Parts: sequence; C-alpha cells; structure tokens
Amino acid sequence: MRKRFHGLKRPRLRQSWNKYNLYNLSRAEDPIRRERTFFQQKWTAKSMTRAYHGETVREQKWTRMFRRTIKAVVPMDHRYLAEKDGSELAEGRGSGLDLAPDQKPRIIPKTPYMNMTYAPTERRLDTAIFRALFASSTRQARQFVVHGYVRVNGQKMIYPGYQLNPGDMFQVDPERVLYATGAPKDRQERRAGRKIRALRASQKEAATEETSSEPEPAAEPQTPSSPPPPESTAPAKSTKQTLQSLLAQAKLILTTPSQTLTARRKQDLRAFQRTVKRTLSRPDTFSTATSLDAQLSEITTKMAPEKPTPTPSSTTPEEDIPKLSTPELQAQAESLTPQQLDTLRLALQEARDNPIDASKPYATPWRPREWMSAFAFIPRYLEVHHKICSAVYVRHPVARPGLAEVPTPYGLHVNGLAHNWYLRRR
Amino acid sequence: MPPRLRQPRLQSPSRSIIRSPPCQCLCEKRSRQFSSTPCNATRQRAEMFRWLNGPGNVFRQPLPGSTNYLNAYDRSGNLLRVDNSNAAQGRKSGDGEKKKDEGGDAEVDLETSSIKKKSAQRPSPEARMKGAPLPKETREDLMPFPMNREFRSQSVLSEQLKDAIYRKVIEQGKSVRDVSATLGVEMRRVAAVVRLKAVEKQWEEQGKRLATPYSKAVLSMLPQTPYIENDPMPHESINDLPVHRATLNQIFHPVSESRHFTRSDAAKVFQPDLLPADDRVPHTELVQLEKWRFEGIQQDQRIAMMREKNEKEAQAKRDREARRREREARETTKVDNGRSIFKFQEVKVDERVGEKGRGREGVGARYGVPHEDRKKGQIKIPTRVE
Repeated sequence: MRKRFHGLKRPRLRQSWNKYNLYNLSRAEDPIRRERTFFQQKWTAKSMTRAYHGETVREQKWTRMFRRTIKAVVPMDHRYLAEKDGSELAEGRGSGLDLAPDQKPRIIPKTPYMNMTYAPTERRLDTAIFRALFASSTRQARQFVVHGYVRVNGQKMIYPGYQLNPGDMFQVDPERVLYATGAPKDRQERRAGRKIRALRASQKEAATEETSSEPEPAAEPQTPSSPPPPESTAPAKSTKQTLQSLLAQAKLILTTPSQTLTARRKQDLRAFQRTVKRTLSRPDTFSTATSLDAQLSEITTKMAPEKPTPTPSSTTPEEDIPKLSTPELQAQAESLTPQQLDTLRLALQEARDNPIDASKPYATPWRPREWMSAFAFIPRYLEVHHKICSAVYVRHPVARPGLAEVPTPYGLHVNGLAHNWYLRRR
Repeated sequence: MPPRLRQPRLQSPSRSIIRSPPCQCLCEKRSRQFSSTPCNATRQRAEMFRWLNGPGNVFRQPLPGSTNYLNAYDRSGNLLRVDNSNAAQGRKSGDGEKKKDEGGDAEVDLETSSIKKKSAQRPSPEARMKGAPLPKETREDLMPFPMNREFRSQSVLSEQLKDAIYRKVIEQGKSVRDVSATLGVEMRRVAAVVRLKAVEKQWEEQGKRLATPYSKAVLSMLPQTPYIENDPMPHESINDLPVHRATLNQIFHPVSESRHFTRSDAAKVFQPDLLPADDRVPHTELVQLEKWRFEGIQQDQRIAMMREKNEKEAQAKRDREARRREREARETTKVDNGRSIFKFQEVKVDERVGEKGRGREGVGARYGVPHEDRKKGQIKIPTRVE
C-alpha cells in the first residue's frame, strides 16, 4: 500500500493546496544534516525533492528527462550595450578601472542554477495546469487531462506527460476549474443539488417515454426545406428537428459512394456531424432569472448601510433603472437614489456573472477555496488568462541572477545535492 | 472467546469517575461533551489543527488587496511588514527600536486560548482595510516557500495592461516588437496575450460564459503590474541574453596590452561563429537606436533610418521566402488524382545517408532497429500539437 500522501509523521511537501501541505510547509526545515555521509545527504535530498517534483513520474522516466544543462539568461541594458563595446572591462591593469566606492556598480547576485534541477518536469502538461492555478494539485490536473477536459492548441490532449512546447496554448474546461478552485458545497447545497439531479433524471425519463410511444411523427419530418412551425410554444423542439434532419442528410451524403467526394470534403462533413451532435447533446442553458430573484434579498442588504445623499438629478432615471422580473421589485427599484441604483446595477451584474446554482458541483455563488492564497503564484514562463481558463506556455523556465523560475520549496543546497545525485553515471 | 457484554445504558457512578483522556483535537465547541469515547486524533494532528486555527488562520481566506504568502508572516501569524512599519514609525518618534520577532517558537506551543486572545487583539483583515492600507510587499513577503530564497512570486499582467496590449496590436496595428519595447513586456508574452485575448473575444461573441468571478479572485491574490496610460511601468526585462553553452567555460586567452579587445572579439574566442551580445539580445533595434543617439543623430532622423532598415530587412525576408517557394515548386512534381495530391521530390541518397548509410535524413536511419510502439502497454505521446 502506498504511504500517506500528506503525512504528518514523515512529512513530504507536495504540489497541492491542501491544508496539511500548508502546515508541513510552514514547519519544514532543511532536511539535510551535514554530519551524514555525502551519499546519504544526496539520497535524502533526492527523495525529498522528488516527492514534490513529478511524484507521479517514475524514476526511470525522470532520469531520462533530466538534463544537466540548465537554461539561464542575463538581462542586458541596451544603453550599456550601445555605449560600451566591452573593452572597458580590460582597462587599467587588465580587469577594468578601479572606481570610487560610491561609483561602484551594484553587485549582481549569483544565478541559482541548482534550483533549476527539476525544470524538465515543469514542461509536463499536468504540472503546467497546476502552476496556472487551474487545479488544486498536480494529481487533480492529471485527472482533468486523463478525463478529457484539457485541450492543447484546440485539440483534446489526454496525456498528462505531454511535454509542452514554447507557444503551446492549453485550455481547461472552465466548469472543472471552478470546481477545482472553488469552495466545496455544504450539506444543504449538496442536498439541493441531489434534488435537481433527481428532477432532471425524471424529466429525461418522461421525454424518452414520449418519443418511444410515438415513433412515426418523429421520423416524419424528412424535408429540411419546410419552414419551422410558427408556434412559439416549442421553438426548441423545432430547432432540434432541423438539426436532426441536417445530420441525416450529412450521413446520406457520406454513405453514398461518389467520385467527387474528396477526402478533405469528407473530413469537413464528419466535423460538421460532430458539431451538430454536440449541439444536440447539450442541455438547455440554465436560466438565471430565478436565481436573480433569489439574490435580491442579498442586494437589498448591501444597499441598506448606504445613506441616501442628495444628488443633482440630471440623468433621466427611467432609462437607468435595471429591469427586474416582478413589477413590485421594479416599483421598489424606481424609488431608489442614483447611488443606490449604481450599487443595484453592480450587484445585478455580479449576480449574473456568479449566480446561485445548486446543480453545480461547487458552492455557489463561487468563491475561492480555503488556504488557496498561500499557494497562489504564477511563474513567468506561463502567460495565463483566467477568464477563459487558458494559458500559453511562453518559454522554458530559466534561471537569472538572483532568481530561479522553477517553483521549488527547497533551497539551493538541497536542490544542488539532488542535481548531484542525477549527475551520477550509472 | 467470551461473549461480549453490552454496556449498560445508564452509566454507573463508578464508571463516570474514570475520566476519558483530555481531547487532543480542538473541541472548542464541546460538541462531544457527554461522550466517553477517547478522541482518536493524534498529537501531531492536534498540533496541526492548533496551528491552522491559531497562527495559520491568516491563510484560510485571502488577504484583501494583497498577496498572502507564508514568508510574509512571523511564527505567530503577524504580518511582518505591518509590524515593521509600526516599528519604523516608533523609531521616528524616538522610541527604542523593535527587532524583528524571530523567537516565535514558544508562542506556537502556547495554549490555544492565549493564541485565540492574540488573534482577537489583532485587527481583522476587513478592519485593517477600512483603516490604513497595507504597506506594499517587500521582496521577502513575496516568497511562497520560506526555505527557497531564490524563488518569489513575480507580478502578472493586470487586465488593463492586457487590454492595452491587445488594443495596440490589433486595433492600432502596431508591431509586436514596438509594443514590447514601449510597454516593457517580452515579445513572446505580447503574442500570447493577443492570442488569449482573441479567444476571449471569440467566447464573448459565441455567448460562452467566462469565468469572471474566478479571474477576479485569483488576480486579487497575485501581485500585478498596473497599466499607467502615459508612463507605462516595465513588466519584465525585455532584453534577456540567453547564456550560450560555449560561454560557460572560462578561457585564458592572452592578448597584447595594446589591443582593443571588444565583446565581439570575446565572442569569437568562445566560438568562432558566436555573435556578440549586441546581436543576440531580442531587441537589437533598441541597441542600434541608442548607438545612433551616441553618434549625435537627431531623433526624427534616427526614426527614419530605423524605418528604412526595417523595410530593407522585411524585403530581404520576403525575397528569401519567394526564392524558397520557387525552388520547392521547381523540385517537386505534384500528381493530383482527385482524391489526394502526391508530391514527388528528387532526392540524392548519397548525400543524405551519410558515410555509414544510417544518417538521420536517409532511408536506412533505423535499419535493423525495431520500433516498439506496437508492443503491449506502449503509449506514444505526441511531441507536438499544431
């Protein structure tokens, strides 16, 4: 059986936002004791660092990934490059002129090369997803990849070990990201979610029974050119039928053998079929109107502490008042001052962006999970756009004076020992 | 085995005297007041919860308007920069200086109640927000890993800055190079931002729901580079010189004392075809402009010269591309059978296969070496996705 992932007795630091991990991180000390043999020190360093970096990667695989060459950069000043041609470094007695103590340039900090030992693991897709703050641990990121929620350059990628290339864009399904980074549901919310699921299941069952009882009318609409029925009571159904007929047509074209149908055209048709199927399988979008009403009480409490200040009524209030679902609420809203109206508008916008929805797997309205802020950082080799849950792997991580871009909890000494371990010729 | 006897429902007075060991976990609410079952939590777990509810409680929720990393707090959960600024103020007013609290070990081991009292004395984050704003994070406060001094959380682009980049590149039609130089953002990052922003616009058009609350929450936890309209703050160093492998060795290269030994000479010593740093940085045009400035050329003339140079380079690139395409067309024969297009190209085998006949480009590169990809359990992870 595997050892505890987040242990307290033999603590290992992990790539995770767990509170156990935070506690272990807060009390962690340099694990290397100098009185032990060099081999023992290296072994400990290797095992501690490997528990954090790519613990899902097998040792054999990692040793093949490991590179002794380390990428580094030196920031250059274009003014210096233009002004001096480098010969000034050999002036005087051969090592540059002696400057007055107040003119001496600042000492450039050393480049921490050793902290870049595990740079190759940062190229892995699952690690990059965790670093972009799209998952609460690398294991969760790995699961998202395996379950098919991740796309690389628009294509589904199911391998967590995919090595990102500079310029690759990866996207995670926003629902998964909200689930991974959001606070969990409490008991009542879970119960409400169960109820909604049961209701939906029963509705689905009823719908399937309906279609199975009368197969003739469902098969009848074969003519795609016929206009959709004008009744507004079933617009969804009519669009569904047209889509289905389009799908049937595409299938007919594909199955009949012909010379003119090129491979490219077949591919297009198949892609079209896929999109139609996806559209058909998507459930109707959840209307936010009811949840907006549910949040009105919250909004009114928000407005309560504000005192109505007299303001010049230059704007026309009729246009600015947001539309609410019931006439009583509308009347209430019309009696508000402009400042309160602004607050109302902001609150409504917020509620629209972040609605209460018990069917979601996370607590709604969405809020970040606990203990997240201590782990929230984004290394510079990634460019993350959180609104669309996408990121670009801009370049490989590099070391620069005073800074190594690989996020590792251990210091130079431990990482150096680990690097030394993998330098071993075997 | 003797039959197990049921425990009497009502506890006998003698049994009630035997007290269960004191609960190790934090049962502050005394929810199990009448339970006689010993608490199973281990000592270490109890200590962990004591820390999480005591000094570690500051990490439970994000600190409004600031980052919230481990290194920003002392052992007892006090924000160091607040204490330091208070101490500095005290020093100004003539008070004795207060040293940074390092011996906080004892405080962690204190009773829970005392920690609670401490946390009650400390103003809550909201209260602090309403009062004086927090002082800006120092370098030390941005270290998420206390043991690793060489890593710190670097700032990310703010939404306004991203918008500005997108506006400049797409709407104003400026080149990525220009935008990078004016805003102090790396060129590859500029390209990435434009790409991501384009996806966001596409999503908006399609009516897809954006993860706006998540974005807001995450950005509030990170240090950000703001966008100031007329005086943009540089986000990162844009002229990073990659360390070349050939330059990692120290070379003792004697030259005569009278020789003017420059950077390009040094580059040639390291490797005969290595370019000097002036030509290896990403923004060579900035170096060139600055050189012209030192030569005393007026600004408008400099700009005109640079434009001319860029035009020449672009033309050369276009010519090269055209020549390549022409050569390709000349060398390949296309056969279209209606279904697919076959391309035939003349290949000189002798050149490609190399001396031993197993060159990488040739046909016999892997002759006799089996591919294992049809074996059971072998997966082939793509190396590139277009």
